[in-house]
Amino acid sequence: MSEYLLSARSIEKRFGPTTVLRGFDLSVARGEVHAFLGGNGAGKSTFIKIVSGQHQRDNGAIEFEGRPVGTSITADVDPGAIAVVNQELALLPHLSVAENIALPRLRHGARTYSERIARAMATDALSLIDPQFAHESVDRLVGDLTLHERQLVEIARALSSGAKLLLLDEPTANLTAAETARLFSVVRRLIAETGLAVLFVSHRMREIRQVADVCTIIRDGKTAVDRAKLTSISDRDIVESMGQFMTTDGPAKDSTQRASHPSASRAVASTGAGVPLLSLRRADVRLDVYPGTIVGLAGAPAGPASLIDALAGLAAPGEWELLRAGKPLHYASTSAAARDGVGFISGDRADRGILHSLPIVDNLSAAERVVRGRYFARRAEAAHGAQLLETLNIRAGSLWDLPATLSGGTQQKLLVARWLMLNPTLLVLDEPTRGVDIRTKREIYGLVRRLAERGCAVVWWSTEYVELVELCDVVLAFDPNGQPTKVLEHADIDESTLADATGMAA
Amino acid sequence: MKTLPQAISAEREPPSKTRRRIASSYRTEIAIAIAIVVIELAVGMIVPAALSVGNLANVTQAAAPLAIMSFGVLLVIITGGIDLSVGSVFSLTGMVTGLAMAHGCGALVSSLAGLGIGLLVGAVNGALVTFVGLAPFVVTLSTYAIAGSLSFIVTDGHSLPISDPNYWLLNSGTIVPGIPNYALWCVLLLLSIELGLNKLVAGRWLYAVGSSSSSARAIGIPVNRIRLCAYLLSGLLASFAGILSISYISNAEATAGSSLMLQAIAAVVIGGASLFGGTGSAIGALLGALMITIIQNGANLIGVNSFWQGTVTGIVILIAVLVDRVTKARR
Repeated sequence: MSEYLLSARSIEKRFGPTTVLRGFDLSVARGEVHAFLGGNGAGKSTFIKIVSGQHQRDNGAIEFEGRPVGTSITADVDPGAIAVVNQELALLPHLSVAENIALPRLRHGARTYSERIARAMATDALSLIDPQFAHESVDRLVGDLTLHERQLVEIARALSSGAKLLLLDEPTANLTAAETARLFSVVRRLIAETGLAVLFVSHRMREIRQVADVCTIIRDGKTAVDRAKLTSISDRDIVESMGQFMTTDGPAKDSTQRASHPSASRAVASTGAGVPLLSLRRADVRLDVYPGTIVGLAGAPAGPASLIDALAGLAAPGEWELLRAGKPLHYASTSAAARDGVGFISGDRADRGILHSLPIVDNLSAAERVVRGRYFARRAEAAHGAQLLETLNIRAGSLWDLPATLSGGTQQKLLVARWLMLNPTLLVLDEPTRGVDIRTKREIYGLVRRLAERGCAVVWWSTEYVELVELCDVVLAFDPNGQPTKVLEHADIDESTLADATGMAA
Repeated sequence: MKTLPQAISAEREPPSKTRRRIASSYRTEIAIAIAIVVIELAVGMIVPAALSVGNLANVTQAAAPLAIMSFGVLLVIITGGIDLSVGSVFSLTGMVTGLAMAHGCGALVSSLAGLGIGLLVGAVNGALVTFVGLAPFVVTLSTYAIAGSLSFIVTDGHSLPISDPNYWLLNSGTIVPGIPNYALWCVLLLLSIELGLNKLVAGRWLYAVGSSSSSARAIGIPVNRIRLCAYLLSGLLASFAGILSISYISNAEATAGSSLMLQAIAAVVIGGASLFGGTGSAIGALLGALMITIIQNGANLIGVNSFWQGTVTGIVILIAVLVDRVTKARR
């Protein structure tokens, strides 16, 4: 019998033209808490989905409890033995908490359903996490719960299904510190009692230090660090091992490029002449943004997301006090923001960027049509679009092909191209390089720099510290609860100061 | 972890709380029941005959086929689907049953032939929706059109008298003394569906599929089988409603069910179900069917031009949905 509960060797996985996993190894021993670390797009979620049976691997071998497992994991492993808690919760909103927890264990449709037994099961499972919450919530509908309450329900359900391996994909992203502590004490107890093993993805350095025994780090689909004891690896080692192009790929930190560009903008910024293009205020954090400045946002999603949504007209400013050229900023809609010269580019291409059913030419002209209030498609748009594709070096079959014919990185370039000719005065970027290959990343950096040189201010949220270090003149750091903590100036921006200021490894 | 019996014994609670839970989970249904009584009393103040035993019996007899059809549509709507074919299934069942009787088959065999139509259309709907993955609206719109035209084709458009002299007993006779059969069928179906939805694991699965089919699949619920069953039962119940109807009027007509499809969906929606799936109850569907019938009956008695009845029904549907939305938002 193998010494490991789960052992995955040389796992490969491709999605169309992009290879996500290229020979990745990971082993989990019984009774351990195993931190699974890596930058965005490194392949963490893909691996979790392969182990939980949502994806099939293209190549490589997996053994569970010493037995080889075929490509269809669900067929070869007992249901419930590998339980997964995802960021996308698999709950039933119209049903009660009790039913959500009990239903997976009721396998026969023709049996009677007893509400009393379901409530008892749910109370038991939830009491492991919080007896008080268990008592209050069993009868409530899941749809009425807050996001973090739903997460507790999902975790309780996974724990109660008799899991031997629990996969937690950022389980604490929506939990408060107290809830996180309680969750991990539960996990510890279960490990002691049942020999459960836990593989968890997290970005919070402190949390990883507190609960994990060993860690595996994935970088560009390959194992960068295999089963390192957390007692023998420094924070710096972890951060560096996660970096996606620190070592060999591409021209790392081109010093001439970096020196030439920010000096210009810093000159503008330091003179401080005139009204700032944008002022961000919240509690005692103040940041004035002048033309040409690239402002980075770093930290857990909650903080940067709310600022970005306010700037792009997706939500009200809330606790932020925002001034645009001295006047209070409050956009009623995204089109109001766009007409005010705010360009918005999201890395969430599927939901916040690409218009999937429209051809490339419409995708390119989308922002222009809004900003210029144009209601009819024009023939000139095609010529314009073709020109854009050429300048950006986008190879597309035809302007009338659907965006789906392009790779993810190229789609992202389309979104940048959308704003390029409109000369926005403020560009808001929401993880614009998510899931994009290194070459395209470099191209996007170049485009954004060029816009900045022309006097556009840029607000860039990234979860990759290397990116912020390379591009930003100023970084606004947020703590895991979404509060802004610190403004890091040019010289202070490096990966360890960022990790310190945000409490996140990456 | 505690064993199950221990957990249950630890979980005793005063009965009053259970009662309160039932009252709150049937809030919509109680409100509709009150609205029905109020409307009927209001009609009775204008036309006293509305409250006579004879008229009330007429109303329930007219509501019975609609209610039974609504039960089937309800099951599909809970899963997040829609069944537009029920009206045509209702007509075609009547025609096939009548035709079988005209060819000398007994009442039982003819009725079974009629029910077979419902099962067949239900199976086609279910298979195309679940296994082929077509949109329920499109699939059932097609079967609605096909079954509707077949009900004209089988007799070349002629209506058929029911030849079995005792067939009316199926609807208006009495098995249980004092309760006419149509009411008996309604109550039996109401009980078995309401209990099945709440007290069978499969019933909860139905809501689970409608609530989020991807989540339901992820936790191991047989989503395809559940959907298929919903369409099968919907077809079967529409056929049964068709048989009850021809036994009442002793005549099978190709157009019998043409107006019923929208009424059945309306009844389900008035009864608190959401077309997005995941909610709804059989009691609600029954009350919705009653509501639609008393409004038509009342309008007839008062002498409202029949052209206006659609307007009245439409307004009632909108009011029901709006009230539901407002009360749910407040909670």
